[in-house]
Amino acid sequence: MTQGRISELLVRETGRPVGGKGMSLIVATAGLGFLAAGLAARRPSGGPHTPSATSPRKREALRLSRDGAAIMGSSVLLDSGMEHLRGDYRRDAMYAAPLAGAASMAASMAEPRTGSPGKLIEGVHVGAVATGMAGMGFHLGNVLRRPGGLSWDNLFYAAPLGAPGALIMSGLIGMATHRMARSSGQERRHGRQLAALSAGAMLAETAEVALLHYRGAYHDPAMYLPVTLPPMAAAGLLLEAARPRRRRRGPLRLLLRGVEALGYIGTAFHALGVARNSGGWRNWRQTTMAGPPMPAPISFAGLGKSGRAALDLLDIADDRLGEDSK
Amino acid sequence: MTRPIGRRAAEAETDPRAVNGCAPDVFSRDGTVPMREFPESEEVDFVIVGAGCGGSVLAAKLAEAGMSVVLFDAGPFFRPLSDFASDEYEQEKLYWLDPRVSDGDDPIELGANNSGQAVGGSTVHFQMVSLRFRPEWFKSRTKLGYARDWPVDWQEMWKYYAEVENALKISGPIRYPWGPKRGRYPYRAHEVNEAGLVLARGAEALGVDWAPTPLCTVSAPRGKSPPCAYRGMCKIGCSVNAKQSMLITYVPRAIRAGAEVRDLAMVGRVETGQDGRATGVSYHRGGEWRHQKARNVVLAGYSIETPRLMLNSATSRHPQGLGNSNGMVGRNLMVHSNHAVWGEFEDEIRWYKGPPSMATCEHWNYVDDDPTKDFDGGYSFMSQGPLPGDFAGTLTGATGMFGDELLTAMGKYNRMAGLKIVGETMPAPDNRVTLADESDPLGLPRARVTYAFSDNDKRLQRHSLDFMSKMLGAAGGRNLLETSSTAHLMGGCAMGDDPETSVTDDMGRSWDIDNLWICDGSLMPTAGGVNPAMTILANAARIADRIVAARNG
Ligand SMILES: Cc1cc2nc3c(=O)[nH]c(=O)nc-3n(C[C@H](O)[C@H](O)[C@H](O)COP(=O)(O)OP(=O)(O)OC[C@H]3O[C@@H](n4cnc5c(N)ncnc54)[C@H](O)[C@@H]3O)c2cc1C
Ligand code: SF4
Repeated sequence: MTQGRISELLVRETGRPVGGKGMSLIVATAGLGFLAAGLAARRPSGGPHTPSATSPRKREALRLSRDGAAIMGSSVLLDSGMEHLRGDYRRDAMYAAPLAGAASMAASMAEPRTGSPGKLIEGVHVGAVATGMAGMGFHLGNVLRRPGGLSWDNLFYAAPLGAPGALIMSGLIGMATHRMARSSGQERRHGRQLAALSAGAMLAETAEVALLHYRGAYHDPAMYLPVTLPPMAAAGLLLEAARPRRRRRGPLRLLLRGVEALGYIGTAFHALGVARNSGGWRNWRQTTMAGPPMPAPISFAGLGKSGRAALDLLDIADDRLGEDSK
Repeated sequence: MTRPIGRRAAEAETDPRAVNGCAPDVFSRDGTVPMREFPESEEVDFVIVGAGCGGSVLAAKLAEAGMSVVLFDAGPFFRPLSDFASDEYEQEKLYWLDPRVSDGDDPIELGANNSGQAVGGSTVHFQMVSLRFRPEWFKSRTKLGYARDWPVDWQEMWKYYAEVENALKISGPIRYPWGPKRGRYPYRAHEVNEAGLVLARGAEALGVDWAPTPLCTVSAPRGKSPPCAYRGMCKIGCSVNAKQSMLITYVPRAIRAGAEVRDLAMVGRVETGQDGRATGVSYHRGGEWRHQKARNVVLAGYSIETPRLMLNSATSRHPQGLGNSNGMVGRNLMVHSNHAVWGEFEDEIRWYKGPPSMATCEHWNYVDDDPTKDFDGGYSFMSQGPLPGDFAGTLTGATGMFGDELLTAMGKYNRMAGLKIVGETMPAPDNRVTLADESDPLGLPRARVTYAFSDNDKRLQRHSLDFMSKMLGAAGGRNLLETSSTAHLMGGCAMGDDPETSVTDDMGRSWDIDNLWICDGSLMPTAGGVNPAMTILANAARIADRIVAARNG
């Protein structure tokens, strides 16, 4: 079994088979560091690197989308942080996922910039996408290496193919938002692009949830919620991306708020799921790892937000059209 | 017998717990659930002797159909959460360890490897492998040319397999490589542990199919059962309650439906009247002999205790024992060959993690025309995960090693893997249960079990050892060790279509006494090359439906 250098070091230093605490500490410190950096960069600086052209309404809409991307980044940070701890950070590369998630979260939280700070932010997003792609490759390799290859059992239990997708999506949405913030106008085009992107991410996320809830035999009817609501919202978003229609947006917004709420409710459900494992929360060291992943559902909250941001952009475009024709 | 530490409620092994209108709540540490009770003088519809696979399913289904049922078991009524320890020796309390006389050319070891004594029967400590018979085996004489036919159609059994698999939420693979299509298992298969992946790699190297084993422990929460925690204590009783044993499934269902359970109640005789029909049972509970009246008596004590009870209930009207005018009671007892190959591996495997048999290969149950197949019947084999005490016993038994040598060998425990068969043996009339001359402390004659393997059985064993050695070698195993043993019991009171050669008809009703029934593993006319529990359960579910239909019809 390949042992990463960091893992070996920790084992040597702590004298324990798995230096779980050390590993978590590395990830937690980095995560908090990035959170602080993100918060610091969140204030509109008004300085030389502030994109001047965007209207306040557009900026608000894009902020919603950035919050969404940041939430997804935090979900990746926590989820991969935990799952890779479960895998003992056996390879050094396993640190990349939570770190990229944290960086992507910080970059999305930051106010868009021009110049070199802007390049840095976009570089982080590109990095997140690249890390996600590489992760998917690693995970696919892990699946294919096991007996049975691309079998149901390996899709259920080997490294999950869908998980790095969340990092890709968080990077993409963050990147797209940042780009959009640098130009004024074009709300209609941007709105449609963001709608399509959010819809795609929602469908991908649904596919992963469907697989994992199937593994759990849909033992609780509530497990059907995240495989029904998000695809409905995604369908609505795709329609908007193809042919924006204002009257559709009211109900669609409601649906997207539902998807967002699902992110929070899902976390609570997963907490209950953890409690249903042997020993319940008293045995949290084991059950939080064995039970349903607590940080996973929250990414739906992020997607709900970026979906709504897309609708906001389309509204702005429609309003402008109305004013122009006056 | 050692006492578990920290027991608060009645001592399960000495004081009956299902009393005063309450039964233990098996999902609690010391709680109870309400239970209906019947006066002994009241003639209940059914007395069922034995709360294992056969008895529990029958009790639940008959009670749900509105019949009055009293379910007896000689063993204790445990609460797994507080009564089960992660300790191999403490947990011997689950086995039927009362001595029996074992003889014949190949005397079989009795106890931990084949019979339990507890409410829930052998399923309290079984290893949860949940396989179906190959359809042709129900007509092995007609279709495959050996042994005898079952009086049952495979398609009917297929329906009942699905029923019990659903009732127990079996966790199995989405695609099962052998046999006709089966519906999807109610729960998904568990993640195969390293020991199972050894089998998988070996199978892929040899080009035969393998599958994650369908297991009777849940892979996701179910009601009050948490999902399996993969601690691997299954064979000594699951203290997590993930294992869907009879104790936590059909027995509570029976109680909810109005059946009464009497624990620590050893039935010593089936009583019969002037007309030769059964009138009830005499049983020993709470230090005294008692009597329960019944319109029907069902024996479900498994392949040794059921024939023992029938033989021991002889009267002047039934001089050879009950239901035994043709002398078939106790005959055609079968075991499964349980031969194994063990090997050492480079990498750490930690085979004790998770249920012991997470991967299986049924290849040799389904091929008939392979030129190397020089035996009738079939065998399956599974990956292994014996607990340390168990494996030390295996090593000592097979090689005689002891002391330092054993210590060194056990030092390799975490880097070992093994493959073990469940091999079909042929029914033979001289493999049988009779009554011994000696008696147990209650004054009941002990069972005497006489057993010999046939030449066919030995050829099958040799074939399996060769094949598994090849597979284990292909997976990277070195220093291979072969061992032999037996597991499970089947037959002893075969059902059949012919009153001359069987003990009961196709619904388990004695040919001689129309209100005496059998519903357990002893009904099996053949053993098949798979673990028997699912077949016994499905057969019991079928018999229950037949009884209900007969009453309504
Ligand atoms: C260690 C072990 C592992 C196993 N693993 C598997 C497996 O993985 N898969 C599988 O399919 N099968 C397995 N089996 C076999 C399976 O458990 C049995 O075949 C099955 O439980 C038999 O069902 P039964 O109803 O005939 O008898 P049992 O389940 O044994 O029930 C009989 C009950 O009757 C009671 N009884 C007997 N006589 C009397 C009497 N006179 N008065 C009152 N009560 C009485 C006993 O106490 C016992 O509780 C295993 C068995 C053992 C021992
Ligand atoms: S491994 Fe699973 S089934 Fe076996 S004892 Fe542990 S929890 Fe129970």
